[in-house]
Amino acid sequence: MWWLKDVWVIDPSQKLSAPRDVLVKGGQVLEISSSMTEEEVSVKAQGEAVDTVDGKGKFVFPGLIDVHTHLREPGQEDKEDILSGSRAAVRGGFTTILAMANTQPVIDSRALVEYVRMQGDRAGFAHVHPIGTVTKGMQGTELVEMATMKEGGAVAFSDDGKNIQNAEVMRLALEYAKLTGLLIISHCEDKDLAGEGQMRRGVSSARMGLKGIPASAESVIVARDLMLAEETGGRLHLAHISTTESVDLIRQAKARGVNVTAEVNPHHLIFCDEQLGITDTFLKVNPPLGSRADRESLIEGLRDGTIDMLATDHAPHTQAEKSRPFAEAPFGIASLETALSAVWENLVVPGRISMDRVIEAWSVTPALRFGLQGGSLVAGAPADMVLFDPDFSEVIEPATLVSKARNTPFLNKTLQGFPVMVWVEGRLVQRNRIVL
Amino acid sequence: MKWQRKDILGLEDMSVEDIRHILHTAKVMKEILMRPIKKLPTLKGKSVVNVFYEASTRTRTSFEMAAKVLGADTTSIAIAQSSVSKGESLYDTAKTIQAMRADLVILRHPSSGSAKFLADILDPNVINAGDGQHEHPTQALLDIFTMEEKLGPLDGKNVVIVGDVLHSRVARSNAWGLQKLGVNVTLVGPPTLLPIEMEGLGVKMTHDLNGALPGADVVMALRLQLERQKSGLFPSLREYSQLYGLTTDRLKKTGKESIVLHPGPMNRGVEISDDVADGVQALIEKQVTNGVAIRMALIYLLIGGSSNVVA
Repeated sequence: MWWLKDVWVIDPSQKLSAPRDVLVKGGQVLEISSSMTEEEVSVKAQGEAVDTVDGKGKFVFPGLIDVHTHLREPGQEDKEDILSGSRAAVRGGFTTILAMANTQPVIDSRALVEYVRMQGDRAGFAHVHPIGTVTKGMQGTELVEMATMKEGGAVAFSDDGKNIQNAEVMRLALEYAKLTGLLIISHCEDKDLAGEGQMRRGVSSARMGLKGIPASAESVIVARDLMLAEETGGRLHLAHISTTESVDLIRQAKARGVNVTAEVNPHHLIFCDEQLGITDTFLKVNPPLGSRADRESLIEGLRDGTIDMLATDHAPHTQAEKSRPFAEAPFGIASLETALSAVWENLVVPGRISMDRVIEAWSVTPALRFGLQGGSLVAGAPADMVLFDPDFSEVIEPATLVSKARNTPFLNKTLQGFPVMVWVEGRLVQRNRIVL
Repeated sequence: MKWQRKDILGLEDMSVEDIRHILHTAKVMKEILMRPIKKLPTLKGKSVVNVFYEASTRTRTSFEMAAKVLGADTTSIAIAQSSVSKGESLYDTAKTIQAMRADLVILRHPSSGSAKFLADILDPNVINAGDGQHEHPTQALLDIFTMEEKLGPLDGKNVVIVGDVLHSRVARSNAWGLQKLGVNVTLVGPPTLLPIEMEGLGVKMTHDLNGALPGADVVMALRLQLERQKSGLFPSLREYSQLYGLTTDRLKKTGKESIVLHPGPMNRGVEISDDVADGVQALIEKQVTNGVAIRMALIYLLIGGSSNVVA
């Protein structure tokens, strides 16, 4: 049994943000209450040994749930695999991760869904849930067997990495997915507007002579998909929102009652295009970093609930791939191990957003919207749980990263505020930054 | 002054002092270049490697001649760039050249930022001979040299650069360099080739060539890449030429004996008419000669060490 003493509990699922004692037993949260005595605890342990953790000055919250990770398995295990990715997850405070379907082959059949799920179970760190594609081969034309794939364990459908260019296919997907009750996750990017663009179109792209991706490449598809969700009554989730116009469109759609949620990636809340240097391939990401104004809109959207969730879009790549001229390097930032710290240091500490809201958006809401276990520390809930030390600082170094990838803008930089203990169903899987 | 720079990557981050020092050095180099016997022992035993990932006759030849006049050994590697995913990466190619003990690497590459990428990983000096749509510093320096040679000090002069500014590394390097020297630069082109975000270069912009010409001391026409029409960036060569082509009549609008520059190769009858290209105001061949002098100056400054051609 675990006894976390005098720890600040953040659990938005029960509107709790206060110092408490937490007991974990048999893989579940046993009790959260104001301070307990040793006698009381030993009675509750019923003979079981008690591991006591002094939680003073630390936070405990439900394990983060990341609805957008690229684990690259099957097919691109040089970048990452399910084992290394799920180890990186628990090192970063994530107890549940959703694996995107754009692997090689893409996850467009029940057999492949089962494979991803099985590999996640074998790895035995974070819970790994497969996202299936929306269309066969991610070709954007024929729908996958959604009902069958749901039986195999798919928790959502997405052609992420590619936009579904054909609006009728998107409309049909929103309709057909009703059979499953699962979400269609849209990667909003108009292929023609994005073209061969390398970064957000603007003064910086023009100055550096890098081909630009206009903000409209995202927002025109956001507008389209919101209209389709409204018309069909389908369930829509919008991945990695990055522009002011998209935030405005989502806010308006929600006011009309459209069944939509949206996520934002930490890097879009922290960086903007003007910070990008011409060789900074570790900041090359899709959707690209936006303007300073976009960043403000995204933070505001996350604060007011227009944007429902945080998600990493963990996109591991090899060093060789990122060690290329900007236009030739792949898009993506590996972030499972740094995302929470980066958000803490860059947004929570300066007072831009509360830690309570961060936990709500990165744990409670994803669990509810995607229908997943976790997101709550109520008594009886599985103890997917994180102990966070705001004073713990660490240099982000290749030697300590457990992800195969190092394509993070924080490489060789110091971050402060880290998960120092992580439990999955009551089992300790990370202690003092070491994955057990 | 003492030369400090390891690499020549662009004019955006180059100081006015460095630009003046290069121009001054190039003057001496031009005198050497104009001699009947143009060969110096200055860089004997130094090796200069041209790495060209894009077809280029004039720039590559210009660098080769410059290095040879100074006595260096030159090697040129032309790498067909059919697909970036095929073959050896730029990183590995660069490391290989370094291992062969090259002293100076000159890179032409279709990706913006490739020269800085190379400079960051290599010990040898690097000169950017054009990186994507980013910068082409030696071209801008030779343009500036040519302008000064004809007009004297450029402070307060008016330079109009017309054409496909968006995709032009020549325009970017010139805009940075000329501004630093106090020149009033105006960029001209259709909105699709001169979009609003180009305002970040900090110079005047207009879509109306006729309105920009009065008072111009220099008019520089950029090469129009004809395949841009297929991407829908302009509707036809005919309309482009009507709006932005340099003709004798149009050139009169400057109200001055303006000079005309073009980085070459020219599309005659598109961005520049025959009579302008071959007319007395065009200094296009002088640009080519000066290009060798500028490149001699840069090669000398980077790898000339303690030798003192420029006493």
